[in-house]
Amino acid sequence: MLNENEKERYHRQIMLFGEAGQEKLKTARVVIAGAGGLGCPVATYLAVAGVGYLRIIDHDTVERTNLNRQILHWEKDIGLPKTGSAGEKLMAINPDIEIETVRITIDEETAPGLVRDADAIVDAMDNYPARYLLNHLACKFGIPLFHGAIRGFDGQATTIIPGKTACLSCIFPKAPPKEIFPVIGVTSGMIGMIQANEVLKYILGTGKLLGNRLLIWDGLGSSLETIQVERDPYCTECGHIKGSQMEKLK
Amino acid sequence: MKVRIKAFARFREIIGSENTLEFDDGTSVLSALKSLSEGSKDFRDACFDKEGAVASHVVLMINGKRISGRDREAGVLHDGDELAVFPPVAGG
Repeated sequence: MLNENEKERYHRQIMLFGEAGQEKLKTARVVIAGAGGLGCPVATYLAVAGVGYLRIIDHDTVERTNLNRQILHWEKDIGLPKTGSAGEKLMAINPDIEIETVRITIDEETAPGLVRDADAIVDAMDNYPARYLLNHLACKFGIPLFHGAIRGFDGQATTIIPGKTACLSCIFPKAPPKEIFPVIGVTSGMIGMIQANEVLKYILGTGKLLGNRLLIWDGLGSSLETIQVERDPYCTECGHIKGSQMEKLK
Repeated sequence: MKVRIKAFARFREIIGSENTLEFDDGTSVLSALKSLSEGSKDFRDACFDKEGAVASHVVLMINGKRISGRDREAGVLHDGDELAVFPPVAGG
């Protein structure tokens, strides 16, 4: 049940999807993997929307070079863990939700226990090995994965519903080379908003998700386009999953 | 025949978003990309690996449909086709 404070806080969006929709957001558990350029805007907007439980995972500390895009981290936070910095701001933004911060490196050992109980996983990582691990676990546990990535003024996003849509390995079987990527904060903001919007739609069960579509943002040309992608029947991660099996898992 | 080559992300910065090029009938994907790279070392370095094959992470699409396996290089282009080259971005 929503309390009076919550009804007031979320009044303008309850006009969109009713108290029943707001209840769905309140009871949702979302894992945000990464508290950097993408993780900051995603976490901010899921928090203000009233997603009831956010688990934010990151192992890094705040550096001055982060501050052009990682909007939850401020000058005063340099040297502090990103999880603590993000958690402090998010709790101030919305004290009605629960924020769990986990300062840990996402790897094969730590990740399963951190994502298994989630309703949704947000890929806010900055490298493909970690993304492939999240994708593997999303497919294994049947949890939707919301992918985003950025470079410069360019970004991409897609939504992965295991067993129903192309997974990350279907779309990108091979990782691009690792680099220190150039980036401007507006690109992280754009793609983070796409991801947060997808998460909200998924929880609310409304709209058309980016499943089997890769959204490509060209910030210099101010153009957005989506390209069709499809499941690879021989995909090593999701090729074996049938829709019906995934339904049982959920 | 004319083929439109559409580039995304970093590739677009190097060769522009769209190039319509004239090729002989039966030109392969590999030949089309190699001819583009002749005018741009940056494109060659970004699109091809050291062995001269299309880099494995580069996504290729003909008329909006992704091509894989042998077709990534040997696939034959036809008049009016659109070949899209997309390097996934990795930052977050």
